Amino acid sequence: MAALRSSASLLLGAASRPVLRAAAAAPAAVRGMAQVVDGQQQSQSASGDAAKLKTFQIYRWNPDTPTEKPKMQSYTLDLNKTGPMVLDALIRIKNELDPTLTFRRSCREGICGSCAMNINGTNTLACLCRIPTEDNAELKVYPLPHTYVVKDLVPDLTQFYKQYKSIKPYLQRDTPAEDGKEYRQSKADRKKLDGLYECILCACCSTSCPSYWWNSEEYLGPAILLQSYRWLVDSRDEKTAQRKDALNNSMSLYRCHTILNCTRTCPKGLNPGLAIAQIKKEMAF
Amino acid sequence: MASVARSSLLRQVASARPAFQQSVIARAARPTAITAFHTTARRDLLPPLPQHVDGTVNDAAPVPEPSPSHGSYHWTFDRLVAASLVPLTVAPFAAGSLNPTLDAFLCATILIHSHTGFQNVIIDYLPKKRVPRTRKAFMWGLNAATAVVGLALYEFETTDVGITETIKRIWTA
Repeated sequence: MAALRSSASLLLGAASRPVLRAAAAAPAAVRGMAQVVDGQQQSQSASGDAAKLKTFQIYRWNPDTPTEKPKMQSYTLDLNKTGPMVLDALIRIKNELDPTLTFRRSCREGICGSCAMNINGTNTLACLCRIPTEDNAELKVYPLPHTYVVKDLVPDLTQFYKQYKSIKPYLQRDTPAEDGKEYRQSKADRKKLDGLYECILCACCSTSCPSYWWNSEEYLGPAILLQSYRWLVDSRDEKTAQRKDALNNSMSLYRCHTILNCTRTCPKGLNPGLAIAQIKKEMAF
Repeated sequence: MASVARSSLLRQVASARPAFQQSVIARAARPTAITAFHTTARRDLLPPLPQHVDGTVNDAAPVPEPSPSHGSYHWTFDRLVAASLVPLTVAPFAAGSLNPTLDAFLCATILIHSHTGFQNVIIDYLPKKRVPRTRKAFMWGLNAATAVVGLALYEFETTDVGITETIKRIWTA
């Protein structure tokens, strides 16, 4: 919270103010979304905190000029006036420096999976990734690797969602519940779903997987296989055999070579690698 | 349209490229950090194609026909072969004596293990949709290579000292 500063102090500090909007904009008009007004902090920074400048290099590509090469654009922000997370910085850049910067974001608390991007070489959610403050190195932000880019940091996840649809991610069951009420599940069975149901399908893991880079047309990728396993182990689901059959070919599942980039990168701390290993084990004999 | 921006990592390499084409002076002025990483010419092997969506965006991706011989059986067999290599490799040295049958088993297992391993490499890097004929050629090439190596190992086992003994002699040579 200490890093959240008011917009008023932002005008006073002025170290990284853009020339573009400074002349015209009234203080109310430049209020950043990721900022809160806090009297104490305001007086602090007004009395002259040293500006903690950080440069963000952000991948830019505009579909309106498709022949123009994608480029890295630098933006410098004062971290004293920016929220602690990379998403705060991105929102501030969009609000105050460059409204053309395009990225997806929604919940800003790691539950929607919209702001998945490649930050300093690691796929993660911008809203869960702190801006590193220990050094002044530039922070590089790219869209998710090996995706078709729609614009700037927005990847095209069409294939990812199509694959998700192909595993039938819903309860398939023919027999009605014994008592005509909900489908009951023992506590032990419910426990098997922990670490699986939390996946928010941000595609960080799938797009970090080299196997998925090369064969995304046919290989399902870690995120979808984790969801596959979520329905395979669900005690209420009755189509386990069909679900396994759908994976039983050389491409869908077995292109996983246990690289484990997925587990390393998962911003939610899940373990898709383990889930895939469980599927392989279940299907082995 | 969006394909222009495919694979951001590769594109960064691409954007570093004009540095090579600039004059010597410009190159000298430039830090060598980038050039140091690229000692060979950059080649686009299987460059990304324009984005293609099968059906509409709301259709599910097609599910392939189940084929356990390429799927679960294949994988299980792979793992069994790989796991059996460990005791087979250790056994002759642990036992202290050389058994030609064991030696033959070791040879066969190594052969199968490397065959399926290379198969995996071909499946990974030569997509059937993209380069079907190259894929087929490589698969048959691999089959031929495996057959030749199998024949050679057979000859070596039957008319020479065998693989374990060879390694032993080279080790102590």
